[in-house]
Amino acid sequence: MLYALMGLGLALITGILNIPNFAHGALFAVGAYLLVTVVGALGNFWLGLLVAPLGVALLGIAIEYAGIRRLYAAGHDYQLLFTFGLALILNELIIVIWGPVGISHLPPASLRGGVDLGFTFYPKYRLFVMVLAALLVVLTWLFLERTRYGAIMRAGIENKEMVSLLGIDIHRLFTVAFALGAYLAGIAGALTAPIRGLSPGMGVDMLGIAFVVVALGGLGNLLGAIAAGLLIGVAQAVVAAYWTEASTAVIFAVMAAVLLVRPQGMFGIR
Amino acid sequence: MKHPAVLVIAAVVLLPLAVRPAIASEIWIFAIFGLGLNLLLGYTGLLSFGQATFFGSAAYVAGYLLKYYGIAIVTALGVGVGIGALSALLVGYLCVQRSGLYFIMLTFALNQLFYFIAYQWTSITGGEDGMPGIPRPALLGIDFRQPLAYYVLVSALFLLALWVMKRIVESPLGKILQAIRENEVRAEAVGYNVPRFKLLAFVVGGAFSGFAGVLYAMLFGIVPLEAIGFVFSGNVVFATLIGGSGSLYGPIIGSVVFIWLSESMSVMWARWPLLLGVAFVIIVLFFRGGVVEAWSRIWRFSKRAS
Repeated sequence: MLYALMGLGLALITGILNIPNFAHGALFAVGAYLLVTVVGALGNFWLGLLVAPLGVALLGIAIEYAGIRRLYAAGHDYQLLFTFGLALILNELIIVIWGPVGISHLPPASLRGGVDLGFTFYPKYRLFVMVLAALLVVLTWLFLERTRYGAIMRAGIENKEMVSLLGIDIHRLFTVAFALGAYLAGIAGALTAPIRGLSPGMGVDMLGIAFVVVALGGLGNLLGAIAAGLLIGVAQAVVAAYWTEASTAVIFAVMAAVLLVRPQGMFGIR
Repeated sequence: MKHPAVLVIAAVVLLPLAVRPAIASEIWIFAIFGLGLNLLLGYTGLLSFGQATFFGSAAYVAGYLLKYYGIAIVTALGVGVGIGALSALLVGYLCVQRSGLYFIMLTFALNQLFYFIAYQWTSITGGEDGMPGIPRPALLGIDFRQPLAYYVLVSALFLLALWVMKRIVESPLGKILQAIRENEVRAEAVGYNVPRFKLLAFVVGGAFSGFAGVLYAMLFGIVPLEAIGFVFSGNVVFATLIGGSGSLYGPIIGSVVFIWLSESMSVMWARWPLLLGVAFVIIVLFFRGGVVEAWSRIWRFSKRAS
């Protein structure tokens, strides 16, 4: 489910802004570290979960406004360098601020322990993450499908010139899309923190997975990204149960296999 | 710049006077790596973000054979070229059918696949610790464990690689690749099989990367895990872009600047990638034309100031 969140956020950014966002993984990591800091300062997990992704979204707005906005006409190579540079900066800042050693973080007291599901015993916190992530995916989807601004966003993926000709502020649309994508990455990071702990490398690992999800789902296809996120998550969990070492490589192997059969991704048309 | 080849040879001779032979060797190895990328980026218009895949794979395979089977330098280099080309064939086959953003993301994702294989296959690659103990065998009685002797070998091979690349880009094949860069639809329309030519460019670029990878492994005596990581792929793109990707000599200028900067920054501060990131951002926002344009801007500015 977390992969679906990451993939959906990245699919929004790549689809609407048409840039390769190599800083997406770093935004994910910043979300996780912000959560730990806020929880440490205020002692309340729920407040942290509210504040941390909003902080990441603000960071996203700043990045779009100060940098990416100037690069829409510059070509993918310079956009890539810019986001790659940002990823390096954020990653190193994390090391400078929070240290190079991994941090472990416990879920809030109310979500510790497990639930008896009848056939298996499942940790409460993971269940909570699954439900919340599913809720967020559905909410984002509803926003895109059922609201006026969501419709404008989808139109922006199809044809940017037409949207701006119709009198819509396309730059504000870009900013909103980037902020929304950053928010989804931030909350995915914040939710991950109590499951896997934090380390400076967590962003890079997630970046590769997010790219796979978007490539699998088909570029510009938001529903495809959600489905691909689920598929990748399930594939990884199944392989991890039998052959732990290969569980990360299998994600990329699944992608290679699917692309051999369908080069345009599972649901891609372009 | 009437005779750039003369300038390059002069640089090859003079460089070891300015920096340690090991760094000088690294610069030319990185330049070979950049030449391979530039065939894709500068001449065919394909932005590959996974060149470390071929570099690292070749370094691991040739390093393994050097370490455990004691093969000769020439054999190791041949193996490197072969592995580089083969891995590029596999990756390229999946990627060349797509273009734009999709292509970039696929090369990156497949780079991650190879990275995680190297990371987890610790019995062969040593995982995070890298694969140490790679020898530099002697050739024709010359002991290449001497840093300067190895520099001579590397720079001679670099000049060879440059000559080969010059022949490639000036050949009919090079012209076809440039036609694809300029107008893919038209190249297709006049009868060229565009995906096949892209794949060919990929394989040639991969062979250059593999060649550089083997030299790199022998230079440091180790294949670090970073050699197959995506930061390495990013570095070579960066070096090529700061040199200027349009010309044959761009990646050479780029790797001189890049390696020299990163080697001098990394001894000053362990967190130097932060500065590198800041440099990326500043260059992209303000100096998009590479070194040449930056120079002319600074020159104009100082003239106005005086």
